[in-house]
Amino acid sequence: MNDDADYLWDRSGDDPELARLERALAGFAHDAPLREPWRRRRRGLVVSALVVAAAAAVVLALALGRDRPRAELARGPDAAPAGALACAGGDGFPFQVRGGLARCDGGAAPDGARGVLRVGAWLETEPGATADLQVADIGAIRLRAASRLRLVASGPDQHRLELARGRLSAQVTAPPRLFVIDTPVGAAVDLGCAYDLSVDDAGRTHLRVTAGAVSLEGRGHAAWVPWGYEVDAEPGRGPGTPRRSDAPERLRAAVLAFDAAAGEGAAAGAALSVILDDAGAADAPLLWNLLPRTAGGDRAAVFARLDELTLRPEWVLDEAVLAAEPVALERWRQSLEGERNVGAWDAP
Amino acid sequence: MRSALAALAAVASALEAGAAHAQGRAVPAREATVDELVIAVQGGSRGAFTGLYERFHRVVHAVVLARVPAGDAGDVVQEVFAEAWQRVSTLREPAAFPGWIVTLARHRAVDHARRRRPPVDDPADLAVSPPPTSEAVAALRAIRALPETYRETLLMRLVEGLTGPEIAARTGMTPKSVRVHLHRGMKLLRKRLEAGPAPTRGERGAR
Repeated sequence: MNDDADYLWDRSGDDPELARLERALAGFAHDAPLREPWRRRRRGLVVSALVVAAAAAVVLALALGRDRPRAELARGPDAAPAGALACAGGDGFPFQVRGGLARCDGGAAPDGARGVLRVGAWLETEPGATADLQVADIGAIRLRAASRLRLVASGPDQHRLELARGRLSAQVTAPPRLFVIDTPVGAAVDLGCAYDLSVDDAGRTHLRVTAGAVSLEGRGHAAWVPWGYEVDAEPGRGPGTPRRSDAPERLRAAVLAFDAAAGEGAAAGAALSVILDDAGAADAPLLWNLLPRTAGGDRAAVFARLDELTLRPEWVLDEAVLAAEPVALERWRQSLEGERNVGAWDAP
Repeated sequence: MRSALAALAAVASALEAGAAHAQGRAVPAREATVDELVIAVQGGSRGAFTGLYERFHRVVHAVVLARVPAGDAGDVVQEVFAEAWQRVSTLREPAAFPGWIVTLARHRAVDHARRRRPPVDDPADLAVSPPPTSEAVAALRAIRALPETYRETLLMRLVEGLTGPEIAARTGMTPKSVRVHLHRGMKLLRKRLEAGPAPTRGERGAR
């Protein structure tokens, strides 16, 4: 008998009971060949072509349907000069104004008017008005009252807008990073989600995510903001640390204090102590976001608390997390996201 | 560019050696490494992608089976590899492929599980050919009822037939971790199997 034999490990030695279990379970084993994804992709392209054709038909229908509002716009009291009718045609994101007056590229668009926001053009809503925009074939935006939005770029690799002031709600179904909204202090990069984004007159940005996740990026920082979370970004400071939208006031205040102190000094230390004391499993994304924002003993304390509250993947090593290695942090984040999406962290 | 060309050459050589082996010719074969396969796939090699599939489909299936009924798991595996084919160009570190594909699998499995009811006593577990024995179904459900830490590793070993060292190489876990998971998980599994089947959802609800 070989003392080193370990059938479970490498089938050395003998374990009849285990071998019987293996034989019983072998029927579940996977032995199917690869369904070649490059063939599948071709089918996907055919479907895409059909979708594009359908979208073209919709755009054509919208263009035909636009004739009446355009005529009304031209005759109305706020009729814009001929040049302003640029928003009535061309390629871009179709929109419709509701509840009041908006301006597109400087031209007036009254309640009910339809138009197309072209690359480079601004859409501004007056108080009381909103505008609904179709974002290519990936989603929709509702631009709230007293807001100013520009279409920066639109193409197969990225759709990019700029919110200079006001508030919008976005709902997007697209691969991560395809849809981006810039604000004066950062960029909200869609990871497949629904969210509210607002910018005040000083450029301060507030992001609240209601489905999926967003990465708010700026000044060399990125904040992972999953559903149920919100974050602020201040001019000159970049994105802050995301917290639960329903976080208790003490925890919320501690997060804001930590950000205000830029994570340094006695004030940040005191705030971090409160965060570590008050954080529960539902605050795991908050703790994860703190890992690259802390250093030394503070990071070790954040790591210990996060490790206590969640199931860290085996291949995310202690030393890699303590060194804030991006690959390790990203793997842990993906694991947290998966656990969160199956409801493991519903309870605080 | 040079590393991509080198990887392609290595993969071509490995594939050629494999073909020669299949034809009964004696050619000293060197199996392409995962890094080489990934770099070759990023350069557009379908053969290299098939090589990655052959090396990882069992691991991916185990990860999926830990969360998804057996009758659905095969389709989810194909979805994972279709996504991998589309996204592999974004993988910056070829050596990270094992962890990456496992993470993709976990996400797709979680998505699938979210759309369905939990698979613990799902009749779709029976939808494989040939139909599994009642002992096999009971064992699969007992494994799924274990803490998550042990589920995937035990499925890789007991269902997919991978050894501990193979699991370590294909998941990026350390051999020590795999060994600990296998032994602790197996200990728990034996206890649960000896204690008899766990109550089904219906039975639990009736109490």
